[in-house]
Amino acid sequence: MRNPLLRPRALVAAGAAAALALTAAACGDSGESDADITWWHIQNQDPLMSTWQEFADDFGAEHDVTFDVQPIENQAFKDRMGTASQSGDVPDIFHTWGGGVLAEQVEAGLVQDLTGKLDCIDQINPIALEPYTIDGKLYGMPFDAGVVGFWYNMDLFAEAGIDAPPATWDEFLADVQALKDAGIAPIALAGADQWPGHYYWTYLAMRTVGLDGLEAAAEAGDFSGDGFVQAGQMVADLAALEPFQPGFESATYGEADGQSAVMGEGLAAMELMGQWAPQAQRDNSGTDGPENLGFFPFPTVEGGVGTTTEWLGGGNGYAVAADAPDEALDFLCYFMEPENYSRAITEGNLTPVAVDTAAVAPDLNEDTQKVVDALATATGTQLYLDQAYPPAIGGVINEATEGLILGQLTPDDFVSMVNEAWAAEE
Amino acid sequence: MTTTESPRVSPGRPDRREGKSPRKRSGRPGAGTLATFIAPGLVLFLLFVILPVLFAAYVAFFRWNGLGGVPTDFVGLENFRNLLQDEVFLGDLWRLGLIVVLSLLVQLPISFGLAMLLHQRFPGRTAFRLLFFVPYVLTEAVTAVLFRLVFSPRRGFADSLLANLGVDSQVGWLSDREIVMFVIFGILTWKFFGFHMILFLAGRQNIPDELYEAAAIDGATGAQAFRSITLPLMGPTVRMIVFLSVIGTVQLFDLVYVLTGGGPFHASETLAITMYEQGFQRNQIGYASALSIAMFLISLVFALFYQRFVLNRDLQGSITTAGNRS
Repeated sequence: MRNPLLRPRALVAAGAAAALALTAAACGDSGESDADITWWHIQNQDPLMSTWQEFADDFGAEHDVTFDVQPIENQAFKDRMGTASQSGDVPDIFHTWGGGVLAEQVEAGLVQDLTGKLDCIDQINPIALEPYTIDGKLYGMPFDAGVVGFWYNMDLFAEAGIDAPPATWDEFLADVQALKDAGIAPIALAGADQWPGHYYWTYLAMRTVGLDGLEAAAEAGDFSGDGFVQAGQMVADLAALEPFQPGFESATYGEADGQSAVMGEGLAAMELMGQWAPQAQRDNSGTDGPENLGFFPFPTVEGGVGTTTEWLGGGNGYAVAADAPDEALDFLCYFMEPENYSRAITEGNLTPVAVDTAAVAPDLNEDTQKVVDALATATGTQLYLDQAYPPAIGGVINEATEGLILGQLTPDDFVSMVNEAWAAEE
Repeated sequence: MTTTESPRVSPGRPDRREGKSPRKRSGRPGAGTLATFIAPGLVLFLLFVILPVLFAAYVAFFRWNGLGGVPTDFVGLENFRNLLQDEVFLGDLWRLGLIVVLSLLVQLPISFGLAMLLHQRFPGRTAFRLLFFVPYVLTEAVTAVLFRLVFSPRRGFADSLLANLGVDSQVGWLSDREIVMFVIFGILTWKFFGFHMILFLAGRQNIPDELYEAAAIDGATGAQAFRSITLPLMGPTVRMIVFLSVIGTVQLFDLVYVLTGGGPFHASETLAITMYEQGFQRNQIGYASALSIAMFLISLVFALFYQRFVLNRDLQGSITTAGNRS
């Protein structure tokens, strides 16, 4: 008796494709719960995962509010935030990197204007507020800020006979070759995640055309300048040396065989990554990380206008939903109370955003200190492009960099893809 | 047909007899009953299937990031035009075709063969049936996580096994653009062969043994019996499994998304993954809706044509006679 079944099956089949459309159109994964405050964050590993939960529990007990705290893995968080934004119902407090993604959420009326509402805001270094400031209004509170640079395993560099970190791109390529000759995978990269790859193109563009050139291109929506094509070519040249760990094409950042675990286990000599890298190397590999971990800025490019004191960077912060209760704002400041904040910095090795760093973190971990020093002497910063630009463009830059690294796109393809994405966004 | 003397009318409800339509007495439900039973399903179907399809079809004509309010930037057929020039979309179609062809040529014959084997009587038959069905019970996401571990470079189960056999595997199971689709096909086969096998087995068990006895008496060999009895009578089962397999492939998402995210650089991307990335990661809901409409049309056209031209014999009675009754 199969026949009677077939008819509804056909409807189901036809309808199932439609159900996907349904998800796109109507459904959303919101912070729907009975709790007074929903909080989505990406500190999904201990120690900070427990610390964050304790903050919520303690604040909740003090102020008689209930929390629904959801630690979500980075990539999954971006996906869920996307659907939540489209459904128009975002969690009361959610992680943000600021920039174009936050701007799009602000434009949709989902985010609360925090200007003048946070008593604790003057404890925070004004530079750290920039990515969260849109049209002169503040829409997020940072708890961490730092820069992206090369974290390198000094012992592996020594093994390859390299005694000083490279200062120029040519030296860098020579070092990559030296590491390869010594049988060491020079660079750890999470190819499948795309965003770690986009740091390379961005930094090379920053070194060729400089920060001003990058800003002008973004304003005009035109990346056809020679410097950008050159940056693409240099990414391709680097990839042609096959500097990455085996299987990097399908590797993610945070998995047990991913980019940061590979670094943590000393299976690759360096990675281009932000301030969170040393902690992530330990967390994801389950080891103590490389014994001697060094940090050097992205090298300069001959003939380019960029300098090593211009950093790609950004931080981590929290935004508050437009319809969140006032307690959510109080909680952000509770977070910044010196004893809590210094605890977060110490346990999670965060890079402090406090004006008075010494007060909250008298003795910083040495890796964090390197980032703090870099930020202190920075002459310019650029927010990660996949956050600084609207998602449609950031996504294309990530995708196109993967294409360059895998030899599937030429530098000219890259430029035309990015230009088309800007044109469509106008 | 008379009305008042119908033996089917319940004598316990004489007051309802008068003025009622004869249909009711002939054993068919009245409009009220029909409405009561059909309405819940129909409302849900309209609300969660038809309405979203219409909404997606509407949104597909706009450029819209999905944030706040309703779409306003009407762009006509631009999204569809872009779709037809999108190498990723065209690649998705090619990969869809590849998986469908491989399924029909490899996966279904394997399932069929196993079903024939497990139809025989031998010790442990039930255990084998159970074991083969187990992969189907796992969710696709769990399967994908499992196989990410199996194919992890160097230390994964696959590479370790090969190393123990003395083979230094340099294969990038999930990282080599040339082979990733075949690895995914292998995983799909592992996941679904048991399900297809059970359906084939059920189909085989529906064939009466008398036919084989008669054939044996007539002097038919085993091969002849297989060709003239088993194959033709398994026809409806085969046709339905092919149908399910194709529709399932069109919608392939979770397993591949968790396994490779569609990478490296689109090498394993499916229609649903492209739609998801455009819609939810890049906030291009208009474009993603156009893509979802394309998927819907592919499924619909295939379903209709397949039913009309392939399943028409199997479906006789369920479609055509509905209007002839009464």
